This record gives sequence, C-alpha cells and structure tokens, in this order.
Amino acid sequence: MHATTGNTLILSSVALALAGAILSFSAGRHNSPTGTKWGRWCAYGYAATMVLANLVMVRALLVDDFSVSYVAQVGSRSVPTWVSVVSLWSSLEGSILFWGAILGFYMVGFCKQLENRYPKFVPYANGVLLLNAAFFAIVIAGPANPFQIMDPIPLDGPGPNPLLQNHILMVVHPPLLYLGYVGMSVPFSIAIAALLRGELTSGWLKPLRYWTMIPWTFLTLGIIVGAWWAYEVLGWGGYWAWDPVENASFLPWLAATGYLHSTVVQERKGILKVWTLTSVICAFLLTILGTFMTRSGVFNSVHSFTQSSIGPIFLGFLATTAIFSMALLAMRSHLLEDEGTIESPLSRESAFLLNNLIFVVFTFTVLIGTVYPLITEAIKGVKLSVGEPYFNQMATPIGILMVFLMGIGPVLPWGRPSSKDVIRGLLMPASIGLLGAIMTILLEPSTSTTTLLALGVCTFAATVTAQELINLVRSRRARHLEPLHTSIQKTFASHRRKVGGYIVHFAIIAIVAAIAGNKTWKESVEASLTPGKDFQLGEYTFIYKETVGESHPEKFSILASFEVFHQDSTLGAMQPKLNYYRSQREPIGTPHVRTIGNQDIYLSLLAFEEQGRRVVVKAYIMPMVPWIWWSLPIIMLGSLISLWPRRKSNALHTGVVAT
Amino acid sequence: MSLRTVILLVGSAIIVPLIMILASGFGNDPHAIPFVLQGKKLPPLELLSLDGQKISLGGKRTKPIVVNFWSTWCEPCKAEHILLQEAARNLNNKVEFYGVIYQDTPEKTREYLQQKGSEYPHLIDPNSSVAMDFGITGVPETVFISAEGVVLHKHLGVLTPPILFKQLSELVPGGLN
Repeated sequence: MHATTGNTLILSSVALALAGAILSFSAGRHNSPTGTKWGRWCAYGYAATMVLANLVMVRALLVDDFSVSYVAQVGSRSVPTWVSVVSLWSSLEGSILFWGAILGFYMVGFCKQLENRYPKFVPYANGVLLLNAAFFAIVIAGPANPFQIMDPIPLDGPGPNPLLQNHILMVVHPPLLYLGYVGMSVPFSIAIAALLRGELTSGWLKPLRYWTMIPWTFLTLGIIVGAWWAYEVLGWGGYWAWDPVENASFLPWLAATGYLHSTVVQERKGILKVWTLTSVICAFLLTILGTFMTRSGVFNSVHSFTQSSIGPIFLGFLATTAIFSMALLAMRSHLLEDEGTIESPLSRESAFLLNNLIFVVFTFTVLIGTVYPLITEAIKGVKLSVGEPYFNQMATPIGILMVFLMGIGPVLPWGRPSSKDVIRGLLMPASIGLLGAIMTILLEPSTSTTTLLALGVCTFAATVTAQELINLVRSRRARHLEPLHTSIQKTFASHRRKVGGYIVHFAIIAIVAAIAGNKTWKESVEASLTPGKDFQLGEYTFIYKETVGESHPEKFSILASFEVFHQDSTLGAMQPKLNYYRSQREPIGTPHVRTIGNQDIYLSLLAFEEQGRRVVVKAYIMPMVPWIWWSLPIIMLGSLISLWPRRKSNALHTGVVAT
Repeated sequence: MSLRTVILLVGSAIIVPLIMILASGFGNDPHAIPFVLQGKKLPPLELLSLDGQKISLGGKRTKPIVVNFWSTWCEPCKAEHILLQEAARNLNNKVEFYGVIYQDTPEKTREYLQQKGSEYPHLIDPNSSVAMDFGITGVPETVFISAEGVVLHKHLGVLTPPILFKQLSELVPGGLN
C-alpha cells in the first residue's frame, strides 16, 4: 500500500513539475497572468505531492513495512521511534526524497511571497524552479526510487547507518544542510530569470538577496552543527577534517558568502555585477556538485552514500546547468557591464572587490584539494590525497586575510576617501588588535606567530564591528532625544541588514579565533590504565574506576567510568563509551565532553580488555572550542535581524515600483 | 577582450576540465580506505618478538617480507594462520614472514601458538602504534613489502590460496617457480 501510494504521488509530482515549468515559461514569454497563476498552482501541487510522499515513507518506516525497498534497506524493528523517523534521510534514495519535499516548501514560500509582484520575472523564476524540481522528481521516480516493491519481503532490516543513530545532533544536522543546499535553487532561479528576461533591475535583485540569506543561514548552521556532531561522536578530538563531503558543504557556502558581500557594492555603486550573478549561480552549481560528491561514489568519504548509478545523471545535470548558465551570462554580458568604476584603492568598494577575490581563491583552493585524488588518478594512475596539511596550510592565510578584510571594510568610506580619514578610522581598532596580540604573548609566551597574527586580526575585526554598531546608535542619538534602549531598538530596526551582518561577523570572528586558539593550545595524552590508576593532563587528574556494559535493543555499549579532579576539587564522573551496533563490525565511540569555562575536557575510550581489566583512553584539553558552538545562536540572531520583514506597505511599495 | 569572451573563456576553462575529472572517477568505491604507505619505503620500525628479540621491519634487506596483522580473538585470522604457516614453510629461503599481534595479549598469543605452532616470529605492538602506521582498520590484514623495503600491497580480510599465491608471485623477483 505504501509503495503504490508513494509511487503514485511521485509520478504526480513529476507531471505537475513538468507541466508547471512549461506553463510558467510560456506565461513569462507571453506576459500571461493566467499562465503564471497555473504555473504557481502546479508548484503548490508539486509541493503537496512531494510532502505527502515523504509522509508516506515516514509512516512506512514507523510501521516497519519491509515491502517498501527503502524500509528494507534502512529500517529495523529494534530502533527507537526517532531513529525510524530520521532514517528518512539516512540513505541515498530517502535523502533525495527529502530533498524533493524541502524544494517543495521553498517553492511554496517563494510563490506566496511574490504572488502578485514582479510579473515580468516571477514566471521565469518559477519555471526554473519547477524544471529543477522535475529533475529531482524524475530521479526519485526512476534510478533512486525508494518505493520499489520487495519480493520476498524481509522480516527485519539492518537499521540506518549507526553513525546516524549515535547522537541526537544527527536529527538536526542533515535537515539544516538540506535546507541550505536546496534553498540555493531559489536565488539561482531568480538570477536565471533576470538573465532570461534580459533585465537586471535593482528591484528584482532584492528578493535575490533575501532568498540567498535564508539558505545561507541554514547552510552555516548545518556546517557548524555537523562539526559539532563530528566532535561529539568521532572521538578524535577534532571537528573538521577537510573530508570531500565536508568540503562539499563549504564550497557553496563560500560562493554564497561572496555573493552576500558583492551585492552590497552592486546595489550601492552599480559595479561588480558579473561577480554578483556568477556567485549566486556558482553557489547553486556547487550544491549540485556537493550532491554529486556525496551520491556518486566518486569520492572517498565516511559521509558518502553507497555506490550508485545516479552519479552520471547528476554529473549530466551539473554539466548542462553549468554550460547553460555560462552561455546565458555571456549572451547577457551587455547587462553586466559596470555602471561605475572603483575610484580609489582605499575605498570600501576596493575592500569588497578584494574580499570577492579572496572568496574565489578560497573556493578554488578547496575545490582543487578535493578533486586532487581524481586528478592524480587520471594522470598518474595513483590516487593521492593532499590531506589536511594542504588545506590547513592554504586556509590559514586566506582565513586571516578574510577576517582582516572583515575588519577593514567597514572602516573604509565609499568613493574616494582621504588617507587621513582612513588612518583616523583604523587607528583605534588597529591599536586594540595589537594590544590583543601583545596580551596573548604575555599570557601564553609559546604562542606561534600565525596564531598571534590570527588573534590580533580577530581582535581588530571585532573592535571595528563593535565600533560600527556603536557609531550607528550614537549617530541616531545625536539626532533624537530618546532613551538609549529606544535608540538601540530603532537603530536595529532601521539598519536591519547592516546590524544583522555585523552580528554574524562577530560569530565568524569568534569561530576563527577559536580555531586558531584551539590549534595552538590543544593538549592531549593517551593512557593505558588498570582500575584505580590515574593519569594527568594539564591541571586535571583522571582516575579510572571501572568498566560496565549496557545492553540496548539496537546496540551494546561499554562505559568506562573515570573520576576527574581539577587540582584538588572533584569535577565528578566522566564516562566515555564505545557502542557496538548490530549492523556494524567496528564500534562507534561516544566521547565524554565537559565544558569548563571556555574550554572542553574531552575523554575518549579507545580500547578495553575483558572485564575492564585495562582500558586505553585519550584525553584532550580543547581550549576555545565552545566558542564555535556558542556562535550558533549569534548567527541565528544576526540572520533573523537581517531577514526580519519590513512593514508590509514599504515592501509592497518597493516591489511595485521596481516592476 | 569583451566581457562576453572573458565569461566564455573562463567558464569553459573551469567547467570542461572539472566535468572531465569528475567523470573519470566513476566506478570508485567511496568507502575504500586509501593506503598511504602504498609505493613508499617503509620507515624503520622496531618491535619485540614474543621471545624477546628485537626485530626491525623497515629498511633494505635480502628477502621480501610479509607482515600479517592478527589476533587470537579473530576466528578468520585462525583460519588464515594455517595457510600462512604452509607458505612460510615452503618459501623459507625466499620470503620472510612476520605476524603482528593486534589488540591482544602476548600471553594468549603464546598459548595459541604453542598449540598450533608457528614458522615465523610474532611481534608485540604495544598501543597498536605499528598497526596505526600501517593504517590497519581490523584483522586480518596482510602487508607485502619488497626486499628494497617498498610497501607493495595491503590485503584487507582473509587471504585465500589464490590471493596469497598471486601476491607472493609479484613479491618474489622472478616469481615463485
């Protein structure tokens, strides 16, 4: 029953997406409001059928209907309910089905927001979105069909990948990433609509920024939550390994971040138009590349799904979309000519241009490092990976330069500023940055030059950001006699985009500082202990007590108990675990992580002997890592402020005037 | 140069090679673990054997070597043990064989070898550091090293007679016959 219903819904979604795409493009060409309306209804229909198909799959997983191929592949009678639900995105076919539903939600949101606005552009954008939806629906109906009928029907299934079952963060990490990936389809559609229409009005580019900001926020949160999950589960005391699939999420993030900066200059000065549109298009193409990386079997990664036949289909889609976009950009190149020039190398627009260059360099650095094993295999016949040292070596100077520009940009005035103005603006933040570096070396004399530079630049950028926010409030207070909290509230309300951006800058600075500090000051020790023995790490003492076993329906866990002391006072027990899942030979660890101030104590169980006679553990002191996780609510706050809608009358006015 | 030409040139220079490189990777196993020592000279690695002798695995030597990672708790390793004993007996003058004890105690290993016998030394690897150097992900795994000390191949899982014969034929200069 589930399989038949699911297949019917998927086939309906294919038909609706294709019909909607044809109707929308035709409506755009003939300026037909009726065609636009029908195209929109097809989009709603696609969303409804796709969401229903997902619900059917969730139900099949919950009731253990092993006659459905995907349930037979990832379902299990012994897993908890929440694991059954998240199994939806645990494997290839289900994850694409989930992708289809998210695309449906985005389409509904986009159509609803722009229902009666921009009639010249919306049908084209809907058409592009629906074509994209049709592609995914066809993949789901054909090569990645999760609703195939099993014969014979198995009595039970293996359950999803144990890594997915091991931590609750896995419930949120994939959906956040998918919301980021899939959402990039909307700005792509907006950009392509502008190019197809042959008009680049600033009014139409407003929704472009809004609809990039939404997936950008989800992608950022998804990447950080993924790093957090790796930190809490994999037990190696790290959070980012430059794995191809991790890079797959970072690449579109870089392109989208480049766009969010470039668009500021385009709106203000009418320059960097090629950068702006290319960044948005690249962000989308890189999400497809990421999907290809995860699902084609071409890249070695712990995150990869199994080998499948859909790799060539995704590569074909990527190639077609990339070539079509490039051709369209070339055809409309006359619209992309800059309306002005950069007047001074000391201007804000110069900083933005340099910033864009850095994002491009970073994107290529990561891309080349990721595909390097394929290049060497194609040329030399040997698969050689560049590994973490290459990425760290390249990312460190680029990251420092990026934060430096984050600091210098807001200080530089637009146009042709005098060097005196620039020096005056930079003096205080640069001095505080220098002071930050000096304080660091006084407190930690062994700090490396790179870390000193990174922390100094972070302090500089944070000072500039704080100074800019204070200046915004101060300039309002100079004009209005009102209480401070009212000034802050009104400044935030009237400069949402700027304030939101600066708040996000704070979070990014905190992340960069945390990475730099942790890399330098991280300490670790490995110990092999019998009960009652202890080992020391920094000011902490770890005493091994005992090892116990815990049986669960889906796994068996080994817990090693330690009592931890900081100097003479006890911090209580820490219990790192090794989990043996029914479906996996190798155990999966659950390190015990305890946050104390701005550092983590991280204890990982590596091996044990029978009856806990001996255990091998690795302990880490991870300074500043909590800053990375604390940045999550800051990013959310900044993004929310930036995205918060203006009063309806204003927004409508803008849209109507622009069309 | 016009903007149109720049877009077409730069776009093609990126898209075409990228798609070709990505297409070249089809057929790979995404979960295959790359073996970093493959084709490289083994660094000097000194271990103690069960009878207390110091044995070095790295460096140039007169014969190629086979290093088998195993443990007594691994049933497939025990099955493989019989095959390796026979190979070591027959190729005594052509190949050196070593066992490396993986996450197991010397006492249990000694006890097992006393019952089953052994034609070659078994080395103790405290804290699995040598296993980590060899990128061992589980047992049994067997590494084949040339007389020049170059790591030629690592076999994951149980060795069968045809696999072992093929690997040894490639390892011994002039083949086994």
